[in-house]
Amino acid sequence: MNSLQTNNAPNSSVVVPHFIFGAINLFVLAILILLANANLFEAYFNTKLIAITHMAVLGWATMIVFGALYQLIPVVFETSLYSEKLAKFTFWISAVSIIFLTYSFWIGAFSTLLIYAALLMFFSLLLFVVNVLLSYKKSAIKNTSSKFIIAAILWLAVTELIGTIIALNFKFGFLTVIHLHYLKIHATVGLIGWFLMLIIGVGSTLLPMFLISHNLKYKKLDISFILLNMGLIGLISNWFLVQNVLFTVVCWVLIVVGVLLFISFIYESYKKRIRKKLDVGMQYSMLAIASIFLPIIISLVVLVGFNLKFEILSRVIVLYGFSIIFGFITTLILGQTYKTLPFIIWLEKYKSLVGKVKTPLPRELYSKQIATIQFYLYLFFLVTIPIGFLMNNNGIIKIGSYSLLAVSILYNINVLKIIFHKVKNNENE
Amino acid sequence: MNKQEIAQFELNTLELLKNVMDPEIEINIVDLGLIYELYYDGDKKINVVMTFSTPSCPLGDTIKTNIQETIKQKYPNFTIDIDVVFHPQWNTAMVSEEGKRILGL
Repeated sequence: MNSLQTNNAPNSSVVVPHFIFGAINLFVLAILILLANANLFEAYFNTKLIAITHMAVLGWATMIVFGALYQLIPVVFETSLYSEKLAKFTFWISAVSIIFLTYSFWIGAFSTLLIYAALLMFFSLLLFVVNVLLSYKKSAIKNTSSKFIIAAILWLAVTELIGTIIALNFKFGFLTVIHLHYLKIHATVGLIGWFLMLIIGVGSTLLPMFLISHNLKYKKLDISFILLNMGLIGLISNWFLVQNVLFTVVCWVLIVVGVLLFISFIYESYKKRIRKKLDVGMQYSMLAIASIFLPIIISLVVLVGFNLKFEILSRVIVLYGFSIIFGFITTLILGQTYKTLPFIIWLEKYKSLVGKVKTPLPRELYSKQIATIQFYLYLFFLVTIPIGFLMNNNGIIKIGSYSLLAVSILYNINVLKIIFHKVKNNENE
Repeated sequence: MNKQEIAQFELNTLELLKNVMDPEIEINIVDLGLIYELYYDGDKKINVVMTFSTPSCPLGDTIKTNIQETIKQKYPNFTIDIDVVFHPQWNTAMVSEEGKRILGL
């Protein structure tokens, strides 16, 4: 059994740029939210909000996820990455695409720049998909976690394909239905197919590992996998073909049950954990898992309808997106950064020194104090933005946005502190 | 070396391995219960049978290197063989009383 993955780990030069670029993009994201301020109250498909959404899901979340995944593939697939060169090339193409894409949305260049930005983005994501699929092909491991990751990768390709078609349609206008219909499918596949499935795949390996819990019921995840994919395929087919409301509800139920099974798995892992005290990284992670109930409730409101006025419905949809992107995905990424990045750097700096000199612990590579302040500021941001939205209060939104800006600065400080950690002299003594 | 001396040497080496930490769990590997067996042949060869808290432990190689280096610092001319096994699977019952105290069990 090939059980030790250290030798399969990629060079840190593959992983680290993703964390740096992702961290910078979190800062850019906070600035964009502050600049957009009043636009946040407009319809959910306004140019500024779409730019912010793409900076959040691609520039911030996907970038960190790519970096983390390159490191985690050896752990989950028990094999090395297919090509490190391809991963480095993909990073640069993605980085340029993301800036280009966000800028195109921000200035509303839908029929001019956007098409080129979208095609470049499609190409870069395709390179990532190919690299992961070829890595998986080498792997002998076909467990639940790896199935989720591969499904997520395929859903990423579908998301990007639909996104590119929407972008092309802005210029050539070949779609018969208005683009908002496809935008709904694009967002749903991206959030559930790509992010949620990837998080389940990676989380079901990492969270029990960090909590140190054993004898978990993996059957729950197998069922979750089937339900989520059935629900998502059903939803897309329905939206493309018949648009039956009852069928939408059935698919929604399948997806929600799938999510609940994952939560149940993590809860079981939490209850069986042997490490009782949660560090700041795991506090974030557990908060993220708990916050998944919010989008479930909001989507129920949208689904049942309650005959909401368009203005209110539009705001509820923005909140729905906020609850997934910030409540769930960003919270988890902020937490898992403190669990994975210190290890990546620690391994790089101290792998050859262990046993010979006194080494620090990985958690000592960042400031716990900064991480804790960042945690509470982020909680403040998570609470203030929905309140600002519900009360239609621009001032509260602004306070929340400044809080995110502070979070992004603190996060950047800690990320840079970890990455540029120097092996101190006294550790060499 | 007679049997009693070998047994004492093994105990001392086990004590030495308490300097090897699992950097994620922050407990030494002996109190964590990762060392299943440790033999000394009486002639500069030590055999360690151990496990990891999870088969996909990304720190596995690092912990093994740490064991090698820690023993070699005290006994430079010794040969150290480390066998990693996953049967029986590690569980919390293998954590020592001191380990349980640190983990808050």
